[in-house]
Amino acid sequence: MSTKTDKIDALGELSAVKQDEHGVSLWTEAFRRVRRNPSALVGMAILVLFVLVAIIGPLLAPYSPTDTMGIREGVIRPGSIPGPSAEHWLGYDHQGRDQFSRLLVGARQTLLVGIVSTLIGLTVGALIGGVAGAAAGLGGRVGRAVDSVLMRIVDMLLALPSLLLAVSIAALLGASLTTVMIAVGVVSVPVFARLLRGAMVAQSGGDYVLAATSLGVKRSRIALTHILPNSLAPVIVQATLTLATAIIEAAALSFLGLGNPDTSTPEWGLMLADAQPYLDGRPGLAIFPAVGIIITALGFTLLGEALREALDPKLRK
Amino acid sequence: MRPSRRRAAIAVAAVAVLAASGCAESERDSSGGGGAVKDTLVFGVAGDPKVLDPSLASDGESLRVARQIFETLVRPEEGGTKASPGLAESWTPDAAGTTWTFKLRSGVKFHDGTDFNAEAVCANFDRWYNSTGLMQSPDVTPYWQDVMGGFAKNESAELPPSLFKSCTAKDATTVDLAFTRVSSKVPSALMLPSFAIHSPAALKQYEASNITGTADDIKYPSYAMEHPTGTGPFKFKSWDKPNKSLTIERNDAYWGDKAKLKTVVFRTISDENARKQALRSGDIQGYDLVGPADVEPLKSEGFNVLTRPAFNILYMAINQKGNPALAKPEVRQAINYAINRQALVDSKLPPGAKAATQFMPDTVEGWNADVKKYDYNVEEAKKLLAAAGASNLKLKFHYPTEVTRPYMPSPKDIYELLAADLKAVGIEVEGIPLKWSPDYLNATTSGSNHDLHLLGWTGDYGDAYNFIGTMFDRQKDEWGFNNPTLFAQFKDADTTADQAARVEKYKALNAAIAEFAPGVPISHSPPAIVFGKGLTGITPSPLTDERFVGATFS
Repeated sequence: MSTKTDKIDALGELSAVKQDEHGVSLWTEAFRRVRRNPSALVGMAILVLFVLVAIIGPLLAPYSPTDTMGIREGVIRPGSIPGPSAEHWLGYDHQGRDQFSRLLVGARQTLLVGIVSTLIGLTVGALIGGVAGAAAGLGGRVGRAVDSVLMRIVDMLLALPSLLLAVSIAALLGASLTTVMIAVGVVSVPVFARLLRGAMVAQSGGDYVLAATSLGVKRSRIALTHILPNSLAPVIVQATLTLATAIIEAAALSFLGLGNPDTSTPEWGLMLADAQPYLDGRPGLAIFPAVGIIITALGFTLLGEALREALDPKLRK
Repeated sequence: MRPSRRRAAIAVAAVAVLAASGCAESERDSSGGGGAVKDTLVFGVAGDPKVLDPSLASDGESLRVARQIFETLVRPEEGGTKASPGLAESWTPDAAGTTWTFKLRSGVKFHDGTDFNAEAVCANFDRWYNSTGLMQSPDVTPYWQDVMGGFAKNESAELPPSLFKSCTAKDATTVDLAFTRVSSKVPSALMLPSFAIHSPAALKQYEASNITGTADDIKYPSYAMEHPTGTGPFKFKSWDKPNKSLTIERNDAYWGDKAKLKTVVFRTISDENARKQALRSGDIQGYDLVGPADVEPLKSEGFNVLTRPAFNILYMAINQKGNPALAKPEVRQAINYAINRQALVDSKLPPGAKAATQFMPDTVEGWNADVKKYDYNVEEAKKLLAAAGASNLKLKFHYPTEVTRPYMPSPKDIYELLAADLKAVGIEVEGIPLKWSPDYLNATTSGSNHDLHLLGWTGDYGDAYNFIGTMFDRQKDEWGFNNPTLFAQFKDADTTADQAARVEKYKALNAAIAEFAPGVPISHSPPAIVFGKGLTGITPSPLTDERFVGATFS
């Protein structure tokens, strides 16, 4: 298999050894480690700020993000867009709207797309991975066949470059916000599926599984109540990291014109695309939403990495 | 985990680079380009030409090349729209106004060395008129069908009878063109590049009329792709399709003032920003379709930005077969009142653009200063909508993506502003973005599943019929209305031989159209074309008929 799949499988092994002898649960221990990790704290701070802005941003915005006031006032000219001023902290955008208000309101759209698409990927991916993992754990000819078929489909999805896959889906379904969520979600499906299945296969060799088996617990019950819960840690780490890529991919789709057709609704990727012709005169129009995307993605990545380290038994002191 | 982390990193980096590239100032020397001898012009074009035989072309990039290689009997005056002598020195109609006698220039030779004469002219008209098979497809001979209607033997019932009747060579330099009726299109329409005169010998040798393939997949003969042969100041040299570059070179046997440049290369660079950067770096020495926002910066950098006179119209079409409320005149008038044209013109269109009151620019005779005007008035719009019982109107609004037209620099921006104006009077708008060709054009000009859309028109020659007649002289899917009175008025105007009387009829038509309000005329916008420092001698043309014959590096 490719290095891509190998690495996902390697992540799955994280959960292989993890019950702590001291009786401290994995999650308690992980939380303690995350708290000690400065980059995790930075990541969390960024995210708290981001979520806060996404929730109350529209209340903070000094103007309506769709009001083309600059056009009405006649201050927007081709090739000349007024920059920051006391009334408009980040200036107008090319349509005479308040850039600061758009940035604040755009955060919500950005977060919404990130979360929903990750949830889509997580749910569908976990379903496929869970079934395949359980089937592999159950063994037998049928089990192996189900596992094999599901995983080959997942491999095929994984073989496609993710952005290409997302663009194809978006092009097929037509431009809309739902499309972006689905497209970005589908892209992360194989990652989650492979990850959960790998973790479950790794877990099925654990001592507690052997113990449960020797007690005569049914294999399907073992898979659902023992193996599955113990395999979720890497999936959760992956979900955090996927949020970061989802936000970037959603922005990319928006940038390519496959996002919300109501283009007056602010969204960071869209704002970036809109700013492209004005890079010469008003680079700020592109820089602010770009920085927003970068910082948010960074926040999720830092937190995700910290979680991964915290949950990785090999890194324990 | 690794792959996604790397992916995230790459994406973050890409976003950062994109943002940072905005800060990078282009400091390169833009005087570069050719070598020691500056006799080559590389001109950046937005798209590849489709075909080099202008009889078969209607796209701007094909016609741009054709205009350098070919000449027409009548040509637009340089920088204007009025008919002036081309290959014909003079022309006069007979008493009935249906037969026109053209006196041809003598001593003109085609690029293949054969003589240009009356017989050559008739060979060309006979070729068009006697078209058969795929040559009768509206995609193959669009302008002939626009102007002349049909052919000698129409193969489709939808084709109207031909306006053209016959061509007679009286002597070597006198030719009679006979038409079936009086029409405003003669002789102005003959200045269209599609009526350029080709070498009959070359037409025959390279089987110019032998179109093969199917209507959906047209295969052009070698004449149209490799051997276009005219009388113009430049002759075709080569077309390197894989490298998107077409070369023409000076015709040293040209009858008039010979070209100063030895070679002109048309290089396709589809991205507007890439064209701008190529000009700055000196890779190209000119390009067309300059964005309105780039006009001032390029001027201040010392580039030669030429602004063409506005000879176009951008409009928002209203389809009366769409939402039933749109069939009510009050609703259409309300939509006219709702649009703040001046704000849009000031903020989105290049300097020199004008808000429109009718569907043609004021430079064309027949423009009427006294039409009903719909000045921006939100209250009036709301009142009219309420009176028509259409206060809760929800309309589909199609707009094109990834396209720049001479009359419409940034469709999405214009759509957003119009949609905001409509929302302000209580009309709910559902935006539908579509790719320009073929999706957008198909969706808006056929069927009836569209309410509002953006479209425009650049004039082909200086006659009002070419603007308003093209849009409103018959029932069209784009507008979805049947107004027999209006259609009859058009027919009457078109067949009026007396120019002054015809102009009065055009004025009446413009008044009638404004009252009927089939759509919202928005603006007339002067498209810009830019040339490198030191390149002079090109006159901007409202018809985008820029001739490179006089271009020279100083």
